[in-house]
Order: sequence, then structure tokens, then C-alpha cells
Amino acid sequence: MIKIEKRNDVSPSIYFLTPILAIFLTLFGGGIIFYVLGFNPLEALKFFFITPISDLYGFSELLVKATPLCLIAIGLSFCFKSNNWNIGAEGQLIFGGIVGGGVALLFYGHDGFYVLPIIILAGAIGGMIFAMIPAVLKTYFNTNEILVSLMLVYVAKLLLDYLVVGPWSNPEGFNFPETRQFSESARMPTLFDGLRIHAGIFITLITVFLSWLILYKTYLGFQIKVSGLSLKTAKYAGYKGKTMIIIVFMISGACAGLAGVGEITGPIGQLHRNISPDYGFTAIIVAFLGRLNPVGIIFASLIVALTYLGAETAQIFLQVPKYTGQVFQGMILFFLLGSDYLLFFKIKFLGLKKNEL
Amino acid sequence: MNTKLRVSEISKIYPGCVANDEISLEFGSGKIYALLGENGAGKSTLVKILSGVVRPDKGEVFLNDKSIKLNSPLDAKKNNIGMVFQHFNLFETLSVFENLSIDSDKKNEELRLSVNNILKKYNFKIDLDIPVLNLSAGQKQKVEIIRCLIRNPKVLIMDEPTSVLTEQETEDLFVSLKQFSDEGILIIYITHKLKEVLSLCDEVAVMRKGKVVSVSETKEEKIETLANKMVGENLSTIKKKINNFKYSEEILKISNLNFRSDDPYETNLINLNFSLKKGECLGIAGISGNGQSELFQILSGEIITEYTSIKFRDKEISKLNPRERREYLMAFSPEDRISQAAVPELKIYENVALNNFKSSNFFEKGLVNEKKIKEHSKKILSNFSVNTDNVEMKSQFLSGGNLQKLIIGRELITSPELLVCFNPTWGLDVGAINYIHETLININEQGKSSILISTDNDELLKLSDRICVIYKGKLSKIMDVNEVTPEKLGILMGGGSID
Repeated sequence: MIKIEKRNDVSPSIYFLTPILAIFLTLFGGGIIFYVLGFNPLEALKFFFITPISDLYGFSELLVKATPLCLIAIGLSFCFKSNNWNIGAEGQLIFGGIVGGGVALLFYGHDGFYVLPIIILAGAIGGMIFAMIPAVLKTYFNTNEILVSLMLVYVAKLLLDYLVVGPWSNPEGFNFPETRQFSESARMPTLFDGLRIHAGIFITLITVFLSWLILYKTYLGFQIKVSGLSLKTAKYAGYKGKTMIIIVFMISGACAGLAGVGEITGPIGQLHRNISPDYGFTAIIVAFLGRLNPVGIIFASLIVALTYLGAETAQIFLQVPKYTGQVFQGMILFFLLGSDYLLFFKIKFLGLKKNEL
Repeated sequence: MNTKLRVSEISKIYPGCVANDEISLEFGSGKIYALLGENGAGKSTLVKILSGVVRPDKGEVFLNDKSIKLNSPLDAKKNNIGMVFQHFNLFETLSVFENLSIDSDKKNEELRLSVNNILKKYNFKIDLDIPVLNLSAGQKQKVEIIRCLIRNPKVLIMDEPTSVLTEQETEDLFVSLKQFSDEGILIIYITHKLKEVLSLCDEVAVMRKGKVVSVSETKEEKIETLANKMVGENLSTIKKKINNFKYSEEILKISNLNFRSDDPYETNLINLNFSLKKGECLGIAGISGNGQSELFQILSGEIITEYTSIKFRDKEISKLNPRERREYLMAFSPEDRISQAAVPELKIYENVALNNFKSSNFFEKGLVNEKKIKEHSKKILSNFSVNTDNVEMKSQFLSGGNLQKLIIGRELITSPELLVCFNPTWGLDVGAINYIHETLININEQGKSSILISTDNDELLKLSDRICVIYKGKLSKIMDVNEVTPEKLGILMGGGSID
């Protein structure tokens, strides 16, 4: 007989330590995979997790990847904490990119300090509006936000495809599916010569701080917390449930939109088909690995960003496909959910009692 | 075929609550047995034990004098015990026949033949090939019954079967049940509706607080006697409060309160009118499920209804949500203290912050004023003698009594003008009950009003100044507590009328 029982007393320190355990299990699992593929596991893991950040350029690349991941994840934490399942951050990122990119193209050839802030604002508003679609449909028509937000990802992707192939494609671009390179005034300033790390990291850090402030120090944050734990109680307390759903989706969408605009004005510098290597989906893993906690999310974003870099290095040095990165992301989530299950439930093995035979 | 079912000294203890306390009962085929009791009396636990869903801590079940082990619902099926639950377990999008074939080991043709025989024999009219979602509640219940009948049950247990049925469907069900009984199936009928017990059943066992308080033939019983057994008639310790506010100003006036719900598990409320004076306690009695929960939610603002008028100190508040109503100094203590009035995962001070009166300034300019909330929480803990002074403790570690003191304290510490409470002492120990009763008497003596919705008649007679009874969503006339007797309450609670 196996019996599964709920644990009542989960200590907070263990709650924050299990993600670290999950990471170690992922390393172990990854080692086994490399071994089966015929590599020396320790060496392969070194190529995957240490080589990429062993120089300044690599470290800068890590931050470049972590910047959007952290930003999106922090936005998602507002939704997830209040029991709203926004799965479509990728679409909100792309739509933010489209709106921001459109404004950037509009200002093509313009100089002036005001250009970049306008583009960034436009990107945030774009993501926000796109996220409001599932929110409004959920509050007024009882639709399922998981499905709507997920399906809108493909809408955004196809719209971007259409724009870069058709109306917005570079007139001098030999029909490549991409827009013009944005003007210098529309680009995120880089922080150091020769490195790609850009000012977007400050947007992320400021957002993290503001989110911490909102979630833990304001009435809105308190209402989000209560609604996430018990909708019945939120109703009894008299919180405006519908308004709150829309607000958390707006915050989340704005963050994803900011991440999108940060990518196209930062490392990419134009719009093309693949402005995001699924940051919007991967950020879901980041949010949960960071326990929906702002500080936790910062660390989680660095670790998950490393899997992106590691995959590229492994492709070069070990000739394994770069999708290995996704295998590692999948393993992190798998082990996290697995250890969470054991954290909240205990499994009892009961011997068969005589009188039950 | 004679069937005898006997339970012997069955006990089941949940943390903080004895659900079944040494229950022994005997049933024999050819009769319909009623198991009568309030919500929480332990009847559901007992039938869950009989159907193998819950395992008892102690005690045995005998079928035809043979001890049987019921470790799972499968064991119950093997022993020919069938059960129809209050909430249906059907797949809405599958057809009736597909639903029946899921847990049957017969071949499809064979099954169809036996189902058709059952349909013919009992004159059930159900199309086997349409999706279940197109059936009425009564038809769905018939599908559940057929599911049991396929297995030729010796015992058939019905858990509150009429709660979702119309009058006509109820009559049809009774005809079928009598037919089953005549064929030798032992029927155990769980309910808290007194009229049904008298019209359908032969014997009745009344449960109260986990114990069987009486077993008798229904022909020896009347609605009042059953009602009193069910809710208790121990009135010896009543202490009347002193009230000087009887003829003071009116502070709350409800007119034309109507509520219609699409949910069959909810009760519609029909044209409720009442008012409340300063310093008065109005008791609303009734057997649970007659609209109390809906009434509470309308008073608190969780449900907003059209056309209803609620005037608090001559201001129309019927469209305000609970938070806005609190600003008028109304306070609410709901029945479900564990998952509604408080969140177990939150710390005590966070639970205190749920009730945000304007005057308490917990959230100034949208920011959490943690210091103020904690000070306020400490005051509640000491003023209402909650047995901890640690406001950082999660409220899930409080016992039921202490949690209720915290909630009542949270509602009362800002001196509201009106407290609406719903079963405030449900499931508490005697000490906590007395404390809460004293508190409720005190607020009336301080000139604050209260509405007490309760299924405990002792409590109502002890605390109320005026009492009325809610039955099927309608209110009886409101009586002065001095002219109320337990007998009168019993008649009204069973749907009868008094002069």
C-alpha cells in the first residue's frame, strides 16, 4: 500500500532551497545524458555551464539573455500569484516588439533623446494592450485565459511575419524578411565598448524593485496575495476581482512588451522573424524557479540564461544541437515540480496489515 | 431475500472533531430508513463508511450477520451496497449508455438488455443515447440509480437525493424508492428535510453532533418532535440578557429582498422584509439549506441582487460591496471560518487586515501600514483572549475556537453598528461557545445591533430578542422571543404554520 499525505508544516527555508536542489538534480540528469551520448560528463557540463561565462564577453552575454527573462518573469509573477494563468507572454513580447519597432521605423532618420523613451513606452503599451485581450475576455465572457493567451502568441507571430515580409520590409533589403536597421537614436545604449550588454538591464532592475514594492508593501499587492490564496475570501473582503484581473494582466503584458522592445532596440536593432528565442515561454520556468519572489527571479533568470549560452557553446565544442538548452530547461522544471510535490506531500509505504489480507 | 445490515460501535475522529461517536444501528430489508441530522451531525461520514469511501477508526459493519471489510468503494460494490451521492458523478458529454458502461463489466449488448429491463420495470423514461448534459437533474439521478440497480444491490443508500429535484421529480423518486423497498432492497435515506422523513420512511434515526440521539418509528413522530431532536431541546441553562434598547430607532430596513439562482444547489429567496432596531438581536432560525447562506451573502454584499432595497440608517446600500458596507460600520462573520473568513496560509496580522475599516487606516495612500496592523492585531488577540500573542503566526495553527475569536474580534474591535453572523459557534467547544455568546450579548447591551443566522435553536433562544424562521427561502412572521417555544420553532422549521 502506498499512501500520499499532505504535509502541513513546510518550513520557508526549505521552500526556497528546493529550487537549488532541482538545479543540482538537473546537472546530474544532464551529466547522465551526456554520458549516454558518449561524452565525459564532467567535461561536457563544464563546456555547458562554465566555459560560456569564463570571460567578460560571456558574462555580458549572460546578462543580455537574463535581462528579458527576468523582466518577463517578474511580470508573470503578478499573474501567477493571483491565480491568473497568463501563458502568452511570448505573444505580448512580440506584440510589444511590433508596436515599439513600428514607432522606431516611424522615427527612422530622426535624432533626439526623446526617440528611445517613446519607443520603449510604445512597446510597453503594446504588450499591455495585447495582454488585456485575454483579461477582458476572462472577466466579461468567462473564457479561459490559458487558451486565449496561448493562442494569441501565434497571432502575434504571424502578424510579425506578415509585417517583416510585407509592408515593413527593408526597401533595400533584397526581399529578406526583415526591416531596416533602426537609427542610432532608436537603439538602447550599450554599457561597455565591445560588449552587447545594454541599458535594458536598468529597466529590468528598476522593474524588479518596483514589483517588490507593489507586491509586498501596497494594498494592491496584498489584494493580489489574498485572491491568489482564496477567491472566496477576496470576495468576502470586498476586493474588486474583475479590476484586479485586468490590472495584473496589464502589468504582466507591459513587462513582456518592455522585454520585446528591449531586444529589438538592444542586441537585434531591427525587426525580423525571430526576435525572441521563446523568452516568453522560458520565463514561466524562471518565475516558478524563483518562487515568484523578485529576488529569487533574479537568480533564476541568470541560471536559465546560462542554459541558452551553454547550448550554444555545446553546439560549437561538442557538436550537439543547441536544443540541448531546452532539454535542460525542461529538466529544471521537471525536477522543480517533482521536488515540490515531495515538499507538500509525503509518501507513506504501508506494509499490508494482517487483517487486511 | 432478507437483508440485515448492522453497524456496531463505529467511531471516526477527524482532527478537532468527532464525526462519529460509537454509532450502532440496525437495518432490515423491506423498510425505508431515514438518517436525519443537521449539516455536520455525522450522517455523511457514516454513509461514507458504509460505501467504503472513508475508513472508520473503530467499529464493524455486519451484512447478514457476517462482518465485512469496506476498504474501498469497490468493496462496497462487491457486497452489493449501492450509493447515490448528492452530487452526481456523471460525464456530462458522454451518452447515458456510455456513462453506465464505464464501470460495468458486462458486454455492451448484455448491458443494454438489462438497462432496458430496468427502464421498463420502473417506468423510467430516459433516452440512453443522448449526452447526459441534456438531462434534467431528476433524470441524471435516475441514471445514477440505474447504475446501482444493474448490480442488483441489497442495500441502496441515497444521500440528500431531493436537494436538486422539483416537487414532481421528488414524488416520482418516492414512488420508485417504495417499489425498490417492496422488492426487498434495504433503503437508507439521508436527509435533513423532516416532511420527507414522515411521508417516505418507516423508521428514523436522528443524529446530532456525531451521536445517534434517537431511533424510532416514523408513525410515532411529528415534525416538531423530530425538529427538536435534531437541533436539541436542552433549554435549561438559558440566561436572558438585559436590554434597554427595545423601542429605540430603526437602523436597518430590508424590503423586497428577492434572489433567484441558476445553480440548483442554491436556494431562491422570496420576498423577504424585515427591519432591525438599535441594540437588538434578530435571530433567524431554520434547518440548513433553506436559504441562510444566500441571505448572509446578500446582507454582506457578496451577492448583489436587483430590486432589493437594503437601507442602513436611511442610506440605500444594496449596491455596495462588502468593503464599502464596512465603511458604514457593518461587520460580517461568515459560516465558513476556515476558507472564507480567514486564509489559513496567511499570518494572523494579515488576516486581520482583510477587514479594512476606513477608520483603522491599515492602508494609507495604498501602502501597507504593517506597524498599525500589527498593533491592532495585538489588541484583538488580548481583548478577545485568543491564546497566542504572536501576530506573525499563520492562522492555520489556531484551533477552531481561537480562530473564531480572532474573526469575531476583528469584526468587533472597531465597534461596528451592526454585526451579521452565521453559525458563529458551529463546531466549537463549550468554552469558546460561551465566550462568543457573552460577546454577542455584550454588543447588544452596548447598543449595537446584530443579526444571528443560526441552525442551533439553543443559541437562538439564548441570544435573540426577536426570532423568525427561514423555510425554503421564505421568512416566517417575526416573533418576540418571549412568545416563542421550541415547539413553535419546530413547526415553522418543518414548513408548518402556526396561527
